[in-house]
Amino acid sequence: MTRNIVVGVLALQGAFNEHFKLLRKASPEIAIGQDRNWEFVEVRTAQNLDRCDALIIPGGESTTVSLVAARSNLLEPLRDFVKQVQNFSLRRRPTWGTCAGLILLAESANRTKQGGQELIGGLDVRVNRNYFGRQTESFEAELALPFLGPKDSIGDIKPFNGIFIRAPVVEKVLPVIRGEQASERAIDETVVAPSRSPEGGMMEHVLRPVEVMATLPGRSRTFRDNVAAMGGEDEVGDIIAVKQGNVFGTSFHPELTEDARIHVWWLQQVKDMTQRQERT
Amino acid sequence: MAINDSPVAPSTSTSSSNSAPTPTSTLTSTSTSTQANAPSTTTNPPNFTVKDGLAKMFKGGVIMDVVNASQARIAEEAGACAVMALERVPADIRADGGVARMSDPSLVREIMAAVTIPVMAKARIGHFVECQILQALGVDYIDESEVLTPADDAFHVEKHAFRTPFVCGCRGLGEALRRIDEGAAMIRTKGEAGTGDVVEAVRHMRTVTAEINRARGMSDVELRGYAKELNAPFRLLKEAAELGRLPVVNFAAGGVATPADAALMMQLGCDGVFVGSGIFKSGDAAKRAAAIVQAVTHFRDPAVLAEVSTGLGEAMVGLNVGRLAEGEKMAGRGW
Repeated sequence: MTRNIVVGVLALQGAFNEHFKLLRKASPEIAIGQDRNWEFVEVRTAQNLDRCDALIIPGGESTTVSLVAARSNLLEPLRDFVKQVQNFSLRRRPTWGTCAGLILLAESANRTKQGGQELIGGLDVRVNRNYFGRQTESFEAELALPFLGPKDSIGDIKPFNGIFIRAPVVEKVLPVIRGEQASERAIDETVVAPSRSPEGGMMEHVLRPVEVMATLPGRSRTFRDNVAAMGGEDEVGDIIAVKQGNVFGTSFHPELTEDARIHVWWLQQVKDMTQRQERT
Repeated sequence: MAINDSPVAPSTSTSSSNSAPTPTSTLTSTSTSTQANAPSTTTNPPNFTVKDGLAKMFKGGVIMDVVNASQARIAEEAGACAVMALERVPADIRADGGVARMSDPSLVREIMAAVTIPVMAKARIGHFVECQILQALGVDYIDESEVLTPADDAFHVEKHAFRTPFVCGCRGLGEALRRIDEGAAMIRTKGEAGTGDVVEAVRHMRTVTAEINRARGMSDVELRGYAKELNAPFRLLKEAAELGRLPVVNFAAGGVATPADAALMMQLGCDGVFVGSGIFKSGDAAKRAAAIVQAVTHFRDPAVLAEVSTGLGEAMVGLNVGRLAEGEKMAGRGW
């Protein structure tokens, strides 16, 4: 007896309808068996979230989403959803955040509002919010996304139109540790997500390291120098997509394009993870 | 979305005497090399995707009028998805009379420094130099607004040439499509600002919806006739008819004063809500602001609406739009 795979899109504020449009376009490409369908639902309450096997946190204003989530009694359920403690181990459920969603899924973030903001966590990274600046610095760029094709065909993959709106970036990949990122908490004006580690000291055997899925090369020299002067930690190119176990984040907005390739790829991941879970 | 047949780059714009974006220094000083390499496969005017994109990020949110940094902080803590900087809220503009203009840049800068959410600011209709100034200040959106005293009684600003996106008001579909044609990346129904009376916002939202519904299912010939009637560009009218909605994000504005007003506008089909005088002219601004934010998220859930509407203290006193003389209405400004 199998049931539908239910994918929720957090619908508190932002571009959630745009994700539904691409999910509907992508889903016919990933068959999940007879008598079994993809089901896409808006998530505004803990009851909505309870039904979900996977979740998308869309673009929007991350400050708004975290405040509304807290006032709608959804913040803790979201944390429990992404980092589920089960049988003394921590399981990260399939979750994808775009732009504001990436900020909320980070274990650490800076340049937030005065007084900081609540994070959900799930990705051991530090995100620099609005890294690229204000709206006049928003831009589009052709992205090479290796994960969209087999490893030997990287050169053949059609570039993806990356849309960056007041976009964040992964400033630093953090060590995978149990509990909250305490060393990050010590940094000025940086907020961290609360711990969801199982009590009793069991190893988190399912925790994986953070994989960098895409970078944006070619920032102008001036811009990079400005960032260095501001104390940012420069990496080779800017990290704009990361994955850690089941949790995926992009600083750009695939939902603002008509290109469903990333949604197809992600639904395949959701299918694989769900079936793996069902077998155990 | 196809708006212009040929995209016009800001530097080559010679089409009109009233466009004139700011000198290139503000346009290029922070641009990255990736912008220059952006794909040119789209028929959209330059940057329209990111202009429309930011508007989509506002959806399901509340944008609040603020006149100083402390109000902006209250709005941010309440969960506003953006703030609108202006010198006086519409209720005070009504009470004070006189010419209402763009805010002093020091106020805009102060507000931008106080919050990390997007900051919008108002310019007078047709006042392209106020728009150049706001772009140079780095605001995230410009509202070419009937709430301020119009600077031009025939023309609106040519908005495609600016890098900063624009939102404009409308009373019906024709006005909305004219503004989009000029380059607005976001529309708001006008309502009647500074009154606390939602009746005009409802009228304008219903008018837009009814006119789009009428256009749906029309043949091209019929649409050409209807475009003349509405004084709207045929291409955009056809697009709205096919989409069954405006081709850009559409917020409600002008008279929203309670969580129930905000949810009413959402149920009538708008994408989000502007609240002007309704918040800072009420008894408990912080509480009311947060309640309106919750109401816009949970707009279909009467139990939540009942809870957030409870004990908000005094709403703004309000003016009955029916008693306003025609000359006192702001919505009629715009051509």
